[in-house]
Amino acid sequence: MLKLVRTARPCPRLARGQATALSSHRLFYQNKQMELYAARATNRLTLRQLIFFGRAMDPERLIKSANYVRTELPVRIAHRLRDMQKLPFIVVTQEDIAKVYELYWTAFEKFRQYPPIVTMEDNAAFCHFLTNILREHSSVIPVLTLGLSLASPHLPPDDLDTFLRRMLISRISRRVLTEHHIALSESDGKKTAAAQGEPHVGIIFTGLNVQRCIDKCAGLVRQRGEGWPQVIVEGHVDTTFAYIKEHLEFIIFELLKNAMWATTSHHRGASSLPPIRATIAAGANEVSIRISDQGGGLSHTSVEATSDLFSFSHIRNAARLDDSRIGALRTVSSSPHGLRATVDEQVVRWRENLPNGFPQDAGADLGMETEDDRRMGIGLPMSNIFATYFGGSLELVTLDGWGTDVYLRLPKLGTNLEGIEV
Amino acid sequence: MLKSGTRRLHSRRAPLPTPALTEIIQRYASSPPRPLDLASLLAFGRPVTRESVVCSVGYALAEIPRRLALRVRSLESLPFIVGTNPYVASMLSSYKESLQLLATYPAVNTLDENKLFTEALSSLVERHANDIPTMAKGFLESAKYMSPTQISNFLDGAIRNRISVRLIAEQHIAISHALEEEERPGNVGVVDTQCSPLHMIRMCESYVGELCSATLGASPSIVIDGHADATFPYVPVHLEYILTEILKNSFRATVEHHKTQRTMPPVRITLSQPIPGSSGQSKFFSIRIRDEGGGVSPSDMARIFSYAFTTAKNDHDEDGGGGPYAAQHVGGLANIGGGDTNLFSEITSKGLQTGLGTIAGLGYGLPMSKLYASYFGGSLSLVSLDGWGSDVSLKLRCLDEAGDATI
Repeated sequence: MLKLVRTARPCPRLARGQATALSSHRLFYQNKQMELYAARATNRLTLRQLIFFGRAMDPERLIKSANYVRTELPVRIAHRLRDMQKLPFIVVTQEDIAKVYELYWTAFEKFRQYPPIVTMEDNAAFCHFLTNILREHSSVIPVLTLGLSLASPHLPPDDLDTFLRRMLISRISRRVLTEHHIALSESDGKKTAAAQGEPHVGIIFTGLNVQRCIDKCAGLVRQRGEGWPQVIVEGHVDTTFAYIKEHLEFIIFELLKNAMWATTSHHRGASSLPPIRATIAAGANEVSIRISDQGGGLSHTSVEATSDLFSFSHIRNAARLDDSRIGALRTVSSSPHGLRATVDEQVVRWRENLPNGFPQDAGADLGMETEDDRRMGIGLPMSNIFATYFGGSLELVTLDGWGTDVYLRLPKLGTNLEGIEV
Repeated sequence: MLKSGTRRLHSRRAPLPTPALTEIIQRYASSPPRPLDLASLLAFGRPVTRESVVCSVGYALAEIPRRLALRVRSLESLPFIVGTNPYVASMLSSYKESLQLLATYPAVNTLDENKLFTEALSSLVERHANDIPTMAKGFLESAKYMSPTQISNFLDGAIRNRISVRLIAEQHIAISHALEEEERPGNVGVVDTQCSPLHMIRMCESYVGELCSATLGASPSIVIDGHADATFPYVPVHLEYILTEILKNSFRATVEHHKTQRTMPPVRITLSQPIPGSSGQSKFFSIRIRDEGGGVSPSDMARIFSYAFTTAKNDHDEDGGGGPYAAQHVGGLANIGGGDTNLFSEITSKGLQTGLGTIAGLGYGLPMSKLYASYFGGSLSLVSLDGWGSDVSLKLRCLDEAGDATI
């Protein structure tokens, strides 16, 4: 296996003959346009506005929404470009981070130059444009994470975490706005019928059933391994609340993967595996989900505090620079699918990698392709970002030698939408 | 200058110290206590011999007065008005007495002399048994004269100091007894090398269960899983205290949350032994106490570890009304009615005698448990699922490699 290079390269390795924004010294003087956008404040919408706006959809509102997205996104991208410009030179010239910078710059230019949307046909074309951009940017997470891992000797851990956090949060916002608009365009102003039995407005599911979500994710994860532990759901099992389905699914999926992996590797060779218990609790203003496993706890990790597991920095969590992790990040970042951080996408990737759609052997090292999403090691940090996005939280408590409890708290978006802006 | 002979009831003046006492306090307070490492303390008991017991006396006579002097100093540093509070004042004079006793104690060289000394130590410990409720009452009454941070810092220091003094005293008493009688297997003074959480839990379960049924009419059962039979080296009374306080909270919450249901969910306790042979770091024994008592609301979460915060409804009137929790206040029913023989006062007086209080009301349970847990480097944390229940995660340091644990 190729020994992977760990050190950051001092200068970017660019394709020969191609002038990019990075290589051109004109970048410095052309920055002015971008700075104008970066100087503008973001115009954030509250989730309530998104929901109410989406409920009474008609062509006029749809076009209004389209133009909001068209003008708002370049401002936000510009802010991220400014953030990247403030990073140390040696960091942004790292090969992978340079790629992301390039991608953002191109997107900024495209949005900046896009003409206003006037008719429904314009909107259809715009949605098509948006879908392409989403696809082009699908590899940002693994590429950026890989780049920062490699560049982390040059960046203090707090700065790294803050920077990446802002990038990812902004990315979630932009994607929420974009996907919400596309979804509203698809239903084209009709009153949205309940999809899969759950009412929704755009991408916001107003009556998201938590148990159903856990069962779905558990089912998907268990398909990966025969004899993998059961997931027992208890507590306030009828809880429903307003949330973005993809976000909840992603977090639960990642947490269940961790729990299953820990359980199977801790009880290797056992005839039956202890189940994972998911407890749902509906509080006044928040929904809590506790996932308890008997996977032996976290004593095998070398972090000082469990919160270090949420850090992207290798200084906080040395495992980030393991060869297998870096390798996995490279594989995913160069794959055509990238990583949009959704459950459906991961499942599709599993199915593609395996000839018959089902894995051969639970718990064993199957090699990089099939284990890549676990091995990237960004499940917890990503889940933390999603969880805290609307003001929720993620907490880990370990019983060394026995197992781990993960506590996920998400605010009920229906009750207190005021402070939550996208 | 007042004549020391005049003394009035309800005097607003603090009693004047005698010159001898002043000198003693000065002497001991000016040489700060040596941070003792636990290993040295335990060494007196490994093995227990006549010589090691005599050494232990010397150690106790040096270190305990130092710590008592610190207590006296910190009490004397409280604002004057707080110092005139009768409860605080009684604490101060009680500490001064104990300090004086030990500071002037004659040398101990024979085992008979040690027996007397041990008895003196025991009655000293006994005299201070109600310190916590007394302090609690004093600070409750003085709350308006001190900021919560001041109170909290004072109490943290006071309780830690108290734990140290008792450790040293009880270590000596224990090894003295061990010398006289047959030493219990696995017992090295205050540390039981095979402390069984299972056994402890069952003990606390019966005490707290009784208390809960008497106060609230019902009590839940306890289900234990995990490494149920595991043991680890620890100070049993510390574990007992922590478990009792946490179980009081869990039991009360469970009963209050399910008062309309017939079947009450049990409190589930999971024991976890550390994996042997892992890296050279300290090992911790983990205990998780999980209840379905409805959880702690997010607004209360910030305050559950502060002293004197309690969700039990209390009544500041001294006439003792206010429901099942009223009787536990020092100065409430339990103290006034000396001859009262109803079950209530019997339980509450029993509670006060052992220093454990009653099922709820003082608001000291969690902060003190946290102090006890972290005393040797462990930890206590509470996570709540609002609307469902709470998990308390307790990690206690295994004291076999006491190494760097300081007292």
